[in-house]
Amino acid sequence: MNYPIRSLNETQVGGRGYRIMPTRQRIRGLVEILLFIAPAMIPLIVFWVYPIVRTIAISFTDWDYMTPSYHIVGLRNYVTLLKSSAFSSALNHTLTLCVSSAAFTIVGGLLLSLLLFNAFRGVGLYKALVFSPWITPTVAVSLVWMWIFDPDHGIANAILRWFHLPGSKWMASSQTAMICVIIVTVWKSMGYASIFYLTALEKVPKSLYEASSLDGANVFQQFLHITLSGVSPTTFFLVVVTTINGLQAYDQIQILTQGGPAGSTRTLLYLYYQLGFQQFKMGEATAAAVALLVIVVAFTGAQNEISKRLVTY
Amino acid sequence: MTTALERRRLSLWTRIAVLTLFGVVMVFPFAWMILSSLKTKAELMDTSAFFPAAPQWSNYVQAALHSPLPRYVWNSVFISVLTVAYQLVSGMLFAYAMAIMTFRGRGMLFALVLVSYMIPSAATYIPAYVVLSRMRLLDTFAGLVVSNLVSIFGIFLLRQAFMQVPRPMIESAKLDRASHLQILLYVVCPLAKPSLISFALISSIACYNNYMWPSLITNAPERYLVSQGLRHFFIEGGAYGTDWAMVMAGSALTVMPLLLVFAFAQNGLLSGISSTAGIKG
Repeated sequence: MNYPIRSLNETQVGGRGYRIMPTRQRIRGLVEILLFIAPAMIPLIVFWVYPIVRTIAISFTDWDYMTPSYHIVGLRNYVTLLKSSAFSSALNHTLTLCVSSAAFTIVGGLLLSLLLFNAFRGVGLYKALVFSPWITPTVAVSLVWMWIFDPDHGIANAILRWFHLPGSKWMASSQTAMICVIIVTVWKSMGYASIFYLTALEKVPKSLYEASSLDGANVFQQFLHITLSGVSPTTFFLVVVTTINGLQAYDQIQILTQGGPAGSTRTLLYLYYQLGFQQFKMGEATAAAVALLVIVVAFTGAQNEISKRLVTY
Repeated sequence: MTTALERRRLSLWTRIAVLTLFGVVMVFPFAWMILSSLKTKAELMDTSAFFPAAPQWSNYVQAALHSPLPRYVWNSVFISVLTVAYQLVSGMLFAYAMAIMTFRGRGMLFALVLVSYMIPSAATYIPAYVVLSRMRLLDTFAGLVVSNLVSIFGIFLLRQAFMQVPRPMIESAKLDRASHLQILLYVVCPLAKPSLISFALISSIACYNNYMWPSLITNAPERYLVSQGLRHFFIEGGAYGTDWAMVMAGSALTVMPLLLVFAFAQNGLLSGISSTAGIKG
């Protein structure tokens, strides 16, 4: 260790007892604690805690950003929002995006990790390959996907034509636009999920497989009772992460579809963006944000409760 | 015996086949980006031309030298370095206070941070925008940094790592009358180095890729971060309209620095990312 070492003697000569805390020293201790906490706490309060409280407050007003004055309107923004078809369809799209991207990411990630587990040399390179979509900027790769999905000159339709299948309009049609968003989202996160599963698979004790095959269990039973239950904490973690990522998906939607066509990819977050930063309906926008907040908190809470009961650690 | 061996061989080959298929699908967008970026306009429009007849390197020269893209990349790198430097210092100090110091209210303070971690950042955007405008920091580099000084994820990761430091080491340092700052710098940090490195890597990547918030608070093109710049310059009727070869070259130039960093720091990054499972789970 490099810190200056003072002898125990010196300490005793100094006469400051180890357990007795005179007022001056207590203040010094307090100041020290503050110095450790403040550099993170001040920005956290200014840009996280205060804005969240403020968001909730604004959701009860008719503030429009342009005029400094506003009125308190009670629950009116919430009523307007709940009655609007834009909100219910946004809720629907959010659910579709979250559930399907989470399901495909997790099933694909698990499959990938099972195939990779104990596979062969060069796995490291393969892992890096499938993981790279996760770290690359969503905007840049969404532009690439936009070009792939181009209805006239894109490679996606060219591939379909090679197989004599009819082409699709992809992002240009409200029928298929959400599928494009889901494909990009799953492509980005599947390698990420498989990295977690690989770590989890390594921790499943080999002796369990040996013991169960002595007991005459087949491969399918082993997979169900040993592998799946062994990685269940990881599955729960990934359900939370992918769902929360789905709730917060913005970049790929903004690039691929801007919420369209005909609002078919407008999620709750995107609705919030449009209400707040395009239409300046701050009251309704913040009400949508509060709805998002409630969903995230409720979901996380539910997940915690379920994992306490179901997950085998 | 032979049948079992044959079956194993067969399963190995199916495995390799499926893995190859997966790999091709995962890599295809990157490959298509590079291929498209090297094509002429005529080749781009003709979907039967899979490879460019003669690679058009001039597209890269154009994107790298005659477009504002390098400026956007520089902005992103510059902002990331400043932001992550502060996040590291503030995160280290705060995580130390949470993991090692003892004081009244520590539990409550940590609960507050825990709750903030769950909240979608978008829920803070409208008031945070107003705060920045009151500070007269909208559309400035300072505003981009100031609004992103704390990484709650980083606090969690570092706290986790700091709690692994053997207690006796800290106690003996205290007996030697080391100050908290000395303990942090000379005892805790060297032991938590892998976590500090993964945090710095993960956070730099997140900053570089950040899009929604920076695009809301920045107007002037000369202050765009790379994602916003890429979108604005190439898509929103920028100087090239939708010249896909240029868009692909630009995307490739944007993605390249990250893939390079990843290639060199793969292990630190992956282990850091896997260790985050314990934080939320």
